[in-house]
Amino acid sequence: MATVLIVDDEFGIAELLESVLTDEGHTVFTAANGRHGLQRMAEAAPHLIVLDFMMPVMDGPTMLRALQAEEATRDIPVVMMSSMPEEAVRARCDGYAVFLRKPFRLKEARAAVAAALDGAAHGG
Amino acid sequence: MSGPGTERVGAYGGLERVATGIAGLDEILGGGLFQGGVYIVQGTPGSGKTIFANQVCHTHATAGGRALYITLLAESHARMLGHIASLGFFDARVIPDRLTYLSAFRTLQDEGLAGLLTLLRREIGESEASLLVLDGVMAAEETAGSAMEFKKFIHELQTQAGANGATVLLLTSASAGAPMAAAEHTMVDGLIELSSRLCGRRAERDLDVRKFRGSGFLRGRHAFRITDRGIVVFPRTEARFREPSRHDHVGGPHVPLGIPALDGMLGGGLPRHSTTMLAGPAGIGKTTLGLQFLGGDPDDAGLLVGLHESEAALRAKARALNLPVAAMMESGQVEVLWHPATEGLIDEVCDRLFAAVRNRRVRRVFIDGLDGLRRLTPDGDRIVRVFAALTAELRALDVTGMYTVETDLYGLASGLPLGGVSLQGASGIAENILLLRFVELRSDLHRMVSVIKARDSVIDQRLRCFRIAAGGIAVEDGPERAEAILAQLRHLPSGRGGE
Repeated sequence: MATVLIVDDEFGIAELLESVLTDEGHTVFTAANGRHGLQRMAEAAPHLIVLDFMMPVMDGPTMLRALQAEEATRDIPVVMMSSMPEEAVRARCDGYAVFLRKPFRLKEARAAVAAALDGAAHGG
Repeated sequence: MSGPGTERVGAYGGLERVATGIAGLDEILGGGLFQGGVYIVQGTPGSGKTIFANQVCHTHATAGGRALYITLLAESHARMLGHIASLGFFDARVIPDRLTYLSAFRTLQDEGLAGLLTLLRREIGESEASLLVLDGVMAAEETAGSAMEFKKFIHELQTQAGANGATVLLLTSASAGAPMAAAEHTMVDGLIELSSRLCGRRAERDLDVRKFRGSGFLRGRHAFRITDRGIVVFPRTEARFREPSRHDHVGGPHVPLGIPALDGMLGGGLPRHSTTMLAGPAGIGKTTLGLQFLGGDPDDAGLLVGLHESEAALRAKARALNLPVAAMMESGQVEVLWHPATEGLIDEVCDRLFAAVRNRRVRRVFIDGLDGLRRLTPDGDRIVRVFAALTAELRALDVTGMYTVETDLYGLASGLPLGGVSLQGASGIAENILLLRFVELRSDLHRMVSVIKARDSVIDQRLRCFRIAAGGIAVEDGPERAEAILAQLRHLPSGRGGE
C-alpha cells in the first residue's frame, strides 16, 4: 500500500478520492491548492500525488514544476486531473505520469492511481 | 484604461461598459455592465444563473479579457463544464489561460470570509482578471456571523473589484425578499433576477433588472430562452420601442395594394408608412389580400409574418392564385417569417420581425394575424401596447404595414374579438381599417369589402362586392351590386337571409 497526497480545490472530489483510496488501504493526505500541497510534502512523504490542474493560490502545473525542481521529489509519480482535454493540459505542463479527465468514474480513478504506482514500481 | 470587450461611455469618460454577450441584455442595460461594478444575479435553482455567468465569462475571455469563475459550492466544475460545453458561446480555447475555474469552498469552510477575501485578492491580482464570478454567494452569507459581517464582506469585495477594474457577478439563489439578501442589495451596483413562471401549462422564463446604477435601463420582466447558443433575452417590445427609434415618416405617395378598385376606394392606395387592420372572418380572403399587398410593387422588399399558415402553405396559395408575390417569394424579395402561434414568445416574434426589416430594408410587412400574436403572451392586456409600439416603430423604419384580425363569421356583429378592443379602441393601432364580410342571400354567399377609415385620405366608404379567382382578389368598380344584394336582403322576411 502507498501514501497518496491528493491536491484539489474541489472539496467533493478530494473527499471522494480520499475515502476510496483509504478503503483500498492507502494512507491519504489532502491539500486544497499547490502551495498547501508543497507544505504537506514533508509530513506526508507521498509515493504518489494526485494533482488538480486548476486551483487557487498555486495551480497544478506550478506545483508540478516545483516538485520536478527538487531532487527529493522529482521522481514521485503524479496523476494530473483536469476537466480540460489532455492535449490542452499537455500543452501547458509535462512530466506527469498519468492523466485523469474529470468528471471520472471511480474505476477510472482507481486505474489511474494503480497505473501511476505500477509505473513507478517498474522505474517508469 | 479601456480593456478588451469594454466601451467607455459618459460625459466624464470614467465609466466603461462590459458587453455581456447575452443577446438582448446589453440593450436592456443600455450598453452592458459597468466595469468594476458588483452585480447580483439571483434566481431559483434551474433558473439559468450558471449559464448566464458562464456566457458572460466566455464572451469576455473570447474578446481578450480575463475571467475567474470561483465556486463556493461543493459542486464539480467538470460536470458544470460538461453541461455548458454544447452551448454556442462555449469556447474551450480560453480555458484556462483567459478563463479559470476555481473552487473556494474549502477556503471558505476553513478560513471564513476573511480567508475568502484574501484568496480573491490574490487570484484577481495574479490573473489580472477583469471579470470575476462568485457562484454560490449564499454559502458566504451562511458563513457570516451577522448581516453586518456580510455587508462588510461585500464592501471589501467592491473595493477590491474597483481597485482592479474587475466586474463582479455574485450568483445566489436567495429570494429577493430574504433579509440578508435585502442588505446586500442596497450595496451592489445592480441586481438581475432570473425566474420561471407557469402560464397555464406553459412555462416562461423572465429576466428582471431590479436595480442598475449608472444609467437608465429597460425596467420590467423580459422573456428569455435558453437556446443552443446560450441565453437569449427578448426585451419587452413596448419598453424597447417606447419611443420610435427615428422620427416618424408621414407622407409621400400612396402605396398601391395592387387591386385597382380597392386602391381607388382608398384614394390611391394605402397611405405610405401607415398600418392597416384587415378585419374579417375565416375564409373571407384576408391572407390573399395580404399576399397581394406584398406583391404590389416588385421593387419593395416584403416580409410576411405568418402565425397560422406555414411558409409552404403560403407559397402554394400564392402559386395557386397566380399572384405576383409568388415569384417574389421564390426570389427572396418577399420573406416569410413563420412562427406557429402554438408556442413561443411575442417579443421573440417582434425581435425577428425587426431584425428582418432592418437587414433587408423591408418596405412592406404583412402580419397574419394579430390573434395569433396575442396567443403568444400570457398577459392578454399587453397586446394593444405591444402593437402600438410595433406599428410606431414600423412607421419610423419607412414600412407600410398590414395585419389581419379575425372577426365572427359575418363580420357584421359590433366590436372585434381583439381582447375587447372595439373598432374605436383599435384606432391607436390601426390608421386604416378594411372590413371584409360575408353576406348571405338565399343560397349565395357574397363577399364584400368596405373601407372604414384611412389616414389623411379621401375614401369611398361604399361597399363593394369582390371575388377570389386566378390573379387574386378582384373588387368590383362600383357599389351597385353590393347595394342590390343588401336591398334584396332588406326585403326578405326577417330571418330568411340565410335560407
